[in-house]
Amino acid sequence: MSARTEDTTRAEPIFRGEPGVWWRLAPALLIVIPLFVVAVGLAVLQSVGIFGVTGSSDPSLAAYRSLLGSAEFWRSLSFSAYLATVATTLSLIIGVAAALTFRRFFSRSRVWSFLLQMNLAIPHLVGALAMLLVLGQSGLLSRGATAVGLTHGTSGFPAFVFDSRGLAIIAEYVWKEAPFFAVVALAILGTVATDYDSVAATLGAGRPQRFRYVTLPLLLPALVPAAVVVFAFSFGTFEVPLLLGGSFPEALPVLAYRRFVNVDLAARPEAMAAGVIIIIVGLAAAVAYQRLARRLEGRR
Amino acid sequence: MLVVVVLVAAACSTGPIADADIPDPSNWDEVVARARGQTVNLFMWGGSSQINRFVDTVYAPLLEDDFDITLNRVPVADTVDAINTILAELQGGRGRGGSVDLVWVNGENFLTLRQADALLTDWATSIPNARLVDWDSPEVNQDFGLAVNGAESPWGSAQFQFVYDGARTTVEELPHSYVELRNWVEAHPGRFTYPAPPDFHGTRFIKQAFYEVTGGVESWLLGFDETAYDAAAVELWSYLTGIEPFLWRGGTTYPQSLAELNRLFANGEVDFTFTQLPAGIGANIASGVLPATAKPFVFDTGSIGDSHYLAIPNNAAHPHGAMVVANLVLDPELQAAKFDPANGWGDGLAISLSRLEATEQSSIAKVTAGLSDLAVPPDRLQATRLPEVSAEYTIALERDWDFYVRQN
Repeated sequence: MSARTEDTTRAEPIFRGEPGVWWRLAPALLIVIPLFVVAVGLAVLQSVGIFGVTGSSDPSLAAYRSLLGSAEFWRSLSFSAYLATVATTLSLIIGVAAALTFRRFFSRSRVWSFLLQMNLAIPHLVGALAMLLVLGQSGLLSRGATAVGLTHGTSGFPAFVFDSRGLAIIAEYVWKEAPFFAVVALAILGTVATDYDSVAATLGAGRPQRFRYVTLPLLLPALVPAAVVVFAFSFGTFEVPLLLGGSFPEALPVLAYRRFVNVDLAARPEAMAAGVIIIIVGLAAAVAYQRLARRLEGRR
Repeated sequence: MLVVVVLVAAACSTGPIADADIPDPSNWDEVVARARGQTVNLFMWGGSSQINRFVDTVYAPLLEDDFDITLNRVPVADTVDAINTILAELQGGRGRGGSVDLVWVNGENFLTLRQADALLTDWATSIPNARLVDWDSPEVNQDFGLAVNGAESPWGSAQFQFVYDGARTTVEELPHSYVELRNWVEAHPGRFTYPAPPDFHGTRFIKQAFYEVTGGVESWLLGFDETAYDAAAVELWSYLTGIEPFLWRGGTTYPQSLAELNRLFANGEVDFTFTQLPAGIGANIASGVLPATAKPFVFDTGSIGDSHYLAIPNNAAHPHGAMVVANLVLDPELQAAKFDPANGWGDGLAISLSRLEATEQSSIAKVTAGLSDLAVPPDRLQATRLPEVSAEYTIALERDWDFYVRQN
């Protein structure tokens, strides 16, 4: 991820005037265009009522109007925004703290390094199932609590799963994304930051000062895009809130899915409209990041 | 980008299936001959491992050995996923060579496919084993009030039943109507819930409640009447929101599927679950999904029964093979095997006993005689059986439940 930051901010001069660049991009574009651009294009078309299943193909914004006019949509939008914001913030704090701790105490330990990065390879789906088995009311923790007499039976255990606050959803995101932030931070800490840190130390800067004036400014350009990615992902992902969420409120992607699988074909344009709105939020996050990145770049 | 989309859509467009490629059941030998070597992709709800195993171990080897057909069971979490695959392919211009050859459907999903004109029609009544099916009965020739028109062939039948645990609840305590259920729920807070519609069983539960609280199914048999529905359904929403505070988790959330409800029931979190199996829950107990002391029962006020079917999309890549499969499952011996809970399923019959030769009846009679108290007696099921009403009611009930109950 850190490499990506560098690329996006300095890519243009490399790009310009290179004749073979499109050929070299061709394999990537061949995948991106059919799978992504066409899919998004079809979603947009269906959201405005073109390419419908039932045959009526007059373009209209009816789906957007009815979606934006429903309280349920706004509830889902704010629920998704809440989930993504809390999860990203917690992951960021925990991830950076873990990276700093790791660098200080365990940087040479293979075991800790493995433990830190282990769940990066585990899919969200598996993570969500694990949360269900551990945090659910008839899960491991609940049974343990009953066994040692903390609770009386499964219903006495607090509802982390299928609850209206999305606690298990947030827990799953943090479990998965905090190590991601830690790895991003460690990539910086392990290389550039070490030298600057030593220099600052020899000049008499204390630990808090070094963090505030040396480490943090070096980390931010890498962490901000990582946070954008995590935010956009946790805003738009579907399987985790589907598995761990309650009946109401539901995350926006779950709402989109449920409209999509609605037996009433007329609900399908609304599903697509919800999908398009999720994409717009993701794009908005990316644009906001670009602006922020430029400011951070300027400050350096 | 629009250009790209249109180009791609145009590029993969092919014409609809040619007439010569549509299987003609009246020339059955040719259907069987052309089915040889085909792989039939059967898309079906995959939420029951016993049903999956039955399909894999009973039908698949027979098809392989007798017809040189490979049966590829494709499990879907909800039948609507298969419907979406079919519709998306048709929408994308894939008029033939579709990935779905055969799909397990009924009710509102059948309605969706018919609305989109996505099925082969007029074949189910002419396949050889159609002679065993009572096509004159509205329980077969209408699927949720919609004329079947030979666009799907029955596979089995089901009836909605409650399940309780004899170790926790005595027979005397059981509710026998939705009115009594409300009393029971209020007396046992947190011990009852139902899957959130549009889960099939959740929809069944609220539809049956709809019949009872609006004074019976009779008013709803003559097609969809929106005005009458809107006026009457108020009773249902007040019933369901009335019991909501006494449900599991105070009704703040509902299980999403029958599998989840079964888990709650087996874990002792709730005291009731549901089953659709006319031959009882023996198979579910044997596989450990339900506790050994579980027993099914039905309300005195009735229980909804229906048929379920196999349908062939009109863009199926292997329609001949699909038709052979749909015909094979009606074989009396195989219907008996499916009916027998010992084989893992316990599904109701799709064929009519009166249409069978005496020799063909024996296997089924043997299974019926052997049904234990893990099944509601067949005559009791017959006596309480209520019909389905047109699929528009399902759609309206699911939509309104979402609004009045879930978002409440």
